[in-house]
Amino acid sequence: MMARVVSVAVLAWRSIWRHRRRTIITIASIAFGVTIVVFAVTMNEGVYSQLIDDAVRMQSGHVTIEHADYRDAPAIDLAVDGVHELRATIEALPGVEATKLLVLGQGIARSGSGAVGVAVMGVEPEVEARTSPLARNIVAGAYLTADDGARVVVGRGLADRLRLDEGKKLVVATNDARGDLVESLYRVSGIFETGADEIDGYVIQAPLGPVRELYGLRGDQATQLGVLLDDPDEQRALLDAVSDAIAGTSAVARGWQQVLPELSAMIRLDRVSDWTFEGMLIVLVLFTILNTLLMSVIERERELSVLLAIGTPPLQLRMQVLTEAVYIGLIGSVVGMALGTAVATWFAVNGLDLRGLYDEEMTISGLAVSMVLRPRVTPEIVMTIGMIVFAATTMLGALVMRRASRIEIADVLR
Amino acid sequence: MAAIVDIKGVTKVYGRGDVAVHALRGVDLTIGDGEFAAMAGPSGSGKSTLLNIIGALDTATSGSVVVDGEDLGGMGAAVLSKLRRERIGFVFQNFNLVPVLTALENAEYVLLLQGVAKSERRDRVRALLTEVGLGGMEDRYPRELSGGQQQRVAIARSIVAEPALVLADEPTANVDSATGDSLIDLMRGLRDEKGVTFLFSTHDAKVMERSDRLLLLTDGLITADGVPSDVLQRG
Repeated sequence: MMARVVSVAVLAWRSIWRHRRRTIITIASIAFGVTIVVFAVTMNEGVYSQLIDDAVRMQSGHVTIEHADYRDAPAIDLAVDGVHELRATIEALPGVEATKLLVLGQGIARSGSGAVGVAVMGVEPEVEARTSPLARNIVAGAYLTADDGARVVVGRGLADRLRLDEGKKLVVATNDARGDLVESLYRVSGIFETGADEIDGYVIQAPLGPVRELYGLRGDQATQLGVLLDDPDEQRALLDAVSDAIAGTSAVARGWQQVLPELSAMIRLDRVSDWTFEGMLIVLVLFTILNTLLMSVIERERELSVLLAIGTPPLQLRMQVLTEAVYIGLIGSVVGMALGTAVATWFAVNGLDLRGLYDEEMTISGLAVSMVLRPRVTPEIVMTIGMIVFAATTMLGALVMRRASRIEIADVLR
Repeated sequence: MAAIVDIKGVTKVYGRGDVAVHALRGVDLTIGDGEFAAMAGPSGSGKSTLLNIIGALDTATSGSVVVDGEDLGGMGAAVLSKLRRERIGFVFQNFNLVPVLTALENAEYVLLLQGVAKSERRDRVRALLTEVGLGGMEDRYPRELSGGQQQRVAIARSIVAEPALVLADEPTANVDSATGDSLIDLMRGLRDEKGVTFLFSTHDAKVMERSDRLLLLTDGLITADGVPSDVLQRG
């Protein structure tokens, strides 16, 4: 039995090399296709990762702990109590990079030049400075510090509309947790510019303490406790652990996909469109492979008939044809995976700089996309693509194998 | 002499209705153990069809076919494949060696299918290749051998598993006259030495003369059967 298996393997191996150039071209086309798809998919995943990372760091983390009813009707009185104890519990969990407390509210920002509706973010400046891209995009003045009292940073768009500069004052008016109309005076510490109009024209950030005071919240309250992860792929496990940790309270843990549904939907839609294009590319490559495999059987019908005539079991002959497809698919996929990984890794390290092609920042779902693209290369992505192409090639081999099994020996040898 | 081939009333019809071609029209034939028999006849007389049916490569439309005691009627593909592997050897006009296998690998292929151990396989095949005049050429690929040498490998492949019957379809058609003579010498020697039964088709009068028995086929029927000199004289 073993000798037969070896015989099939040897015959198949030698058979694919009898037309060396054709086999090399076929393997090269598979490898090229896999390389392109690996590069395209990892590049897209890189953009998605960057978008998600920026979004969760600027907002409420990979996992957000908030009042169970907050998502249905965001209101300042739906705050989470006892956030300091909760934070200590969460930070003890493995895989947690950082936690951040937020108070998110709405209000009207007013200066001598007008009034504009704003989103007020009460933040911990030292945490934001370490984790949020917004804090790294200060274009005038300085970001907040822990010692700042009633100071804010505002976006470039908002600053232009209210004619604000560093050191200027603005008043934020809003309703507090009890529903009373309140207002507070702030001085501009700095101006940020993320490139996303929705953020630059709408968001102001102030230290957590003064914002709590504005909204009438206690010192152990926040509307969100955000959790940033070392590895975003571990979100599911952490979500479960956090849910267990807060069970029995009014708070719930939500993944960023629930907190930022538009971004999540956009990525899902974009992935479908990408995979459709990449699937078409794979289909084109498969046609080349099918042509090669079919040709190799048709031109060898006489030889295969002789093998059947001298007593080769039909199943063994079918296995030989299938093994030839397996070899071609395997070599092409492995070479393609290696090349795709090498190319994508090079760009992941060095970046694909498209800044010369675009004058303005590009935004997706209100988030600025860096014009220096970096693929996100993971073994899962590369293996999945390689396995898909390999499996498809093997299926083609099975199709061709059927043709080999239908050979009429006497007709071919006549 | 025991019968290796015993066929009765065999017909073979290709196609149907007006386009039906009657390749064999009721052939009766018995080939005894150790015979060295040739079949002759014009193209289309049914020689190859008869060889294919005896060799279990094709099925008869009607009639019975018994090879080495096995009735081929109703046998499934797997059983027929096993029968060919173990009891019948084939030699083809175009040699039909596997181009990616060496002479030794081509000749040992059937033994490998039978599960013979590698060392025994190699010993038997090396001895046989030496016997057919190819000693020292075991590792050559078919493209590195002449037509006559390739046919010697094919003959070695056909008898290596010691089958009851070797069927050869015009084995000397693609070699020159001298090589053809040497191939017939080789096959006769193997018959004499190993007792292998040979049945082959040929157009070559010299080959016919060197057989022990000559069958003449005309329009799907055996029209003469006997000692070559008699058959050729009548033909």
